[in-house]
Amino acid sequence: MLSHRKPTLSGRYARTAYLFLAPAILFFGVFFFLPIGNVLSTSTRTGPQADRFTGLGNYARAAADPAVHHAFLVTLVFSLAVVAGSIVLGLALALALNQPLRGRVAFRVALLVPYLTSVAIVGLLWRNILDPQLGVLNRVLGELGLPPQEWLNTHPLATIVAVTLWQGVGYTMVLFLAGLQGIPEVYHEAARVDGASGWLRFWRITLPLLAPTTLFVSVMAVISGLQAFGQAYIITNGGPGDATDLFVFHIFQVAFDSRDFGYSSAQSVLLLLVIVAFTVVQLRAGRRGEIQY
Amino acid sequence: MRRALTYAVLTVSALITVVPLLYMVSLALQTEAETLSADPVLWPASPQFGNFAELFERAPFGDFIVNSLIVAGVITLSHLIFDPLVGYVFAKFRFPLRNTLFVLLLATLMVPFFVRMIPLYVMMAGLGWLDSYQALITPFLMDAFGIFLMRQFIQPIPDDLISAARIDGASEMAIYRKIILPQTRPALAVLGLFTFVFQWNEFLWPLIATTTPEMRTIPVGLTLFNQEYFTLWHLTAAGSVILFVPTAVLFLVSQRYFVKGITLTGLR
Repeated sequence: MLSHRKPTLSGRYARTAYLFLAPAILFFGVFFFLPIGNVLSTSTRTGPQADRFTGLGNYARAAADPAVHHAFLVTLVFSLAVVAGSIVLGLALALALNQPLRGRVAFRVALLVPYLTSVAIVGLLWRNILDPQLGVLNRVLGELGLPPQEWLNTHPLATIVAVTLWQGVGYTMVLFLAGLQGIPEVYHEAARVDGASGWLRFWRITLPLLAPTTLFVSVMAVISGLQAFGQAYIITNGGPGDATDLFVFHIFQVAFDSRDFGYSSAQSVLLLLVIVAFTVVQLRAGRRGEIQY
Repeated sequence: MRRALTYAVLTVSALITVVPLLYMVSLALQTEAETLSADPVLWPASPQFGNFAELFERAPFGDFIVNSLIVAGVITLSHLIFDPLVGYVFAKFRFPLRNTLFVLLLATLMVPFFVRMIPLYVMMAGLGWLDSYQALITPFLMDAFGIFLMRQFIQPIPDDLISAARIDGASEMAIYRKIILPQTRPALAVLGLFTFVFQWNEFLWPLIATTTPEMRTIPVGLTLFNQEYFTLWHLTAAGSVILFVPTAVLFLVSQRYFVKGITLTGLR
């Protein structure tokens, strides 16, 4: 956000400012605003060359297309599960790590490593580990006396949610850790003096004061969950059937397998609107729920 | 008692994140027969370092590595050059349309990549750039996150320093390079590390923008290799190790910067 403190350098230096900005104006114009204009205009056209004007035809088609509805529902469930998991697991790990322990840095490194790993590695590795025949997981389960799994067939969506959390939970943990370290110790001290239990202090002090972090984590998790792609492309190929047909994977197939740029562009615009709506609603709700101490 | 529970929770969690990655290393060193065994092997009887050589024979993996280095390297360099420059302008200059331009820049944060992927593909096809370094590099030369990060860092630098240098007759470029840039070093380290790692790992665009194996980056080359040779898990794992090692090393030597970077971009 722009600060209210005005920069003191006078307008005499406007020429320098524009000179320094020129490459950025060119870049964002050509690689952001031109594509946004083009995706909007392509979304109103149809045909193999996307050259026949159809107005809102592609949007009407999407509104009546069960495959689009299904992909949207799958993606929504996926995103909400990732949000819930990120918050619960990330906060739990941050609370555990926010104590005077030996090896804190080592734990943090270990938990954060998957976040910096390519989705290609994550996807391929887990596809191998989870494979019912070849995968090492069934051997481990067997040695623990547990029945073998076939989760990618029996619970495909839950499984890719779990893999996504495996990769991303270290990131939310670090965010929550920073949030926890920003809570002044005096609040806890005062509550302790008043005889509040640890559980009560968590609900009445820690959680409310973490609200901005929780809000940020949930906004980020929704945004990244709604545009997940690699999990479907690499691990499940959208299946079995269409059980994990994540929206961006669906758009990708309509665009690059079916070569229907008009229809896929309209779907991109729709998903963008959903993401913007989610973000606005979350920020609004967050602002209303903010608590001042 | 509570402390023991905390250690137990953290240890189990850390094992869950790290052990699969160690198993990837194990797979990379197994024989093909071991990877296909009905009774999966935890660690190979004798490590097969030859798997890496075999991978380079089966796929243009050397090209993948060079492509990844060039693409991630050039994009990182571009961010290090332009993000602080633009951040400096928004932190310290007043000029017509300043707020409008700033809001437009903010707006690009709300534009996920999938919105740009189809028009960028059409644009690159029109330019004849598909399957080239230009196509892989140009869409990511700058981004608003990096610019905001740098702006945050530059704002606290006292304006008096800049005014004094102007009075002494320093050129605008000299002020930027000699006064502003040196103070942003920690932020530049964070920016460089993050940009490199994310571009090194980038998957969707190189998948769309390349058509020949020789132009693929490691993540895409590896995934398509796995689709073609889906039984050769020892080689897929060997490729994964190659893809993983640079980011792991960067992370281990500079994990403080990564943690700082996450909290900086996270809690603006």
